[in-house]
Amino acid sequence: MALRRVFVANRGEIALRIVHAAQKLGIETVVGVSDADRGSAAAQLADRSVVLGPGPAAKSYLDPELVVHAARETGCDGLHPGYGFLSEREILPRLCAANGIAFVGPDADTIVALGDKLQARAMARAAGVPLVPGSDQIASAANAAKVAEEIAYPVLLKASAGGGGRGMVIAHSRAEVEAGFAKASAEAESAFGDGTLFMERFVPRARHVEVQLMGDGTGKVLHFGERDCSVQRRYQKLVEEAPSAAMPAHLCAQLHEAAVALASSVKYRGAATAEFLFDVEREEIYFIEVNARIQVEHPVSEQVTGADLVGWQLRIAGGETLDIEQADIAVSGHAIECRINAEDWQRGFVPTPGTITRWSAPDGDGIRLDTHMAEGSAIPPYYDSMVGKLIVTGADRADAIGRLTAALDAFEVEGVATTIGLHRAIVAHPDFRANTIHTRWLEQVLLPALES
Amino acid sequence: VSDPSPHDLEALLRQFQASDARELHVRTATLELFLSKDPAAPAPWGGGGGAASPTSTAAPPSLSSGAERQSEMAAPAAAAETFPEHWTILRAPYLGTFYRAPKPGEPNFVEIGEPVAAGRDLCLVEVMKLFTAVCAESAGTIRAILADDGQMVEEGQPLFAIEPAGA
Repeated sequence: MALRRVFVANRGEIALRIVHAAQKLGIETVVGVSDADRGSAAAQLADRSVVLGPGPAAKSYLDPELVVHAARETGCDGLHPGYGFLSEREILPRLCAANGIAFVGPDADTIVALGDKLQARAMARAAGVPLVPGSDQIASAANAAKVAEEIAYPVLLKASAGGGGRGMVIAHSRAEVEAGFAKASAEAESAFGDGTLFMERFVPRARHVEVQLMGDGTGKVLHFGERDCSVQRRYQKLVEEAPSAAMPAHLCAQLHEAAVALASSVKYRGAATAEFLFDVEREEIYFIEVNARIQVEHPVSEQVTGADLVGWQLRIAGGETLDIEQADIAVSGHAIECRINAEDWQRGFVPTPGTITRWSAPDGDGIRLDTHMAEGSAIPPYYDSMVGKLIVTGADRADAIGRLTAALDAFEVEGVATTIGLHRAIVAHPDFRANTIHTRWLEQVLLPALES
Repeated sequence: VSDPSPHDLEALLRQFQASDARELHVRTATLELFLSKDPAAPAPWGGGGGAASPTSTAAPPSLSSGAERQSEMAAPAAAAETFPEHWTILRAPYLGTFYRAPKPGEPNFVEIGEPVAAGRDLCLVEVMKLFTAVCAESAGTIRAILADDGQMVEEGQPLFAIEPAGA
């Protein structure tokens, strides 16, 4: 049964994006906000907003019982978790199910299986998805050294329960791998409560490519093309584009096929992203993980396919099946997204909460701005610092870069420091224009150059 | 007669309430007080428009601690802004369902007009079957209950108006 009223369990631009998508489908919206977000754009646009708790996320957005209680008491029959916060916490779909609310996303068991990297690797292997040469669980430092010899240095030690680069160590030698084992294990234990590690070959020149997937729970899974998100700092993406202009066509086809096979093997329901490393030198792709949520960078895929991915999420959660076929999804043009953060990138990327006193955003053909900000908007200190996503679409990559350059030049924000200036520098750089960048390019090449 | 202290007046109120007397009228150099057990009784100084609350015009705010009747007439959903500034508004700490009694069928934690000590439980806020008591932050008298039993309240929503003790 189609959703009638959806609870938006998130904040910021994605809360607004979900309200827009729901309104387009005639679904009522209730936004759960913290005390700090009472006046947010999503709260104003929604049919109703309710104040969950105080500003700190642990007492509002991150409390699953509180969120589902609010959804139930406001008569919602669906709940959209957005990204971040509780979006990939298995307790949320479980609580929703227990309270007769449709969770906009996969079921709890799928979240658990995909959230554990070792389990996800096993699933990928079973579905015939290429994996970076690596190990299962590493038992000890001595074991780590032995496995590293087999894989060949350099290697990467990773936390099984991990993400965001925590519990991750690069080792080039036996001494480094032995020392790194203790460090990564302790870091993983403190960050995730689970010190289990595994090992992978480290690819020095890698690009991050990922496939946008949508499944309807029957085993039918469609892909909406790939994205390239290789401009990263500390494993956080800054610029994303679709399609990938760096991968040969045969590898792209292999990438799509592998991603669909994996999601289909678990009868995936909802939106997911399968992430891969593209080893530029070896011309190989390796599976990293599946994210069981809508991602920040979904707009670039929407721009080149014309699909409303959040709309599809809501429809599938309401019981619809995918009534289109893979052949109906065509990629045309090229889209690039810049994540604009309220950070002083020239002073160590320190977040700059405060009030926006001037917000003059670019507008025009091929420009999409997903933001909850305007002149006078406050950026509370409790949450991530993203203030918006500038998405520019052109006929091809060069055309998109031209439009993006003009859009970034026209984008003026005052009151808080933002990363707009950094984006101007990225987009103007010859390496970015020639598309020879890799996941460590920003940290190894651009940032040191800008500092000197 | 010298001016009575608030203490004297409180003692007077108690004695009046416990007595069989139906009305009491006291006049000093600076204060005139009229008490009646009949809410419709007109004040001896004439109508003046305050007929709905016979004790309110007579007694200074610090004296109303004994005059339950007046507050009982206040609408339960009255806006917090209408209360005297020195009253305390106790608010919901987070979103949940508001319960006035510890369990269904049991007496309410507190009623309007009741004096409460600091730390006294006043209601429960329930989130997914987890019931958390909300207690008075300081001593005072419950003057209004601003949420309905069994209804969802949001973070920061006013629950009780409390007149501080000894103000």
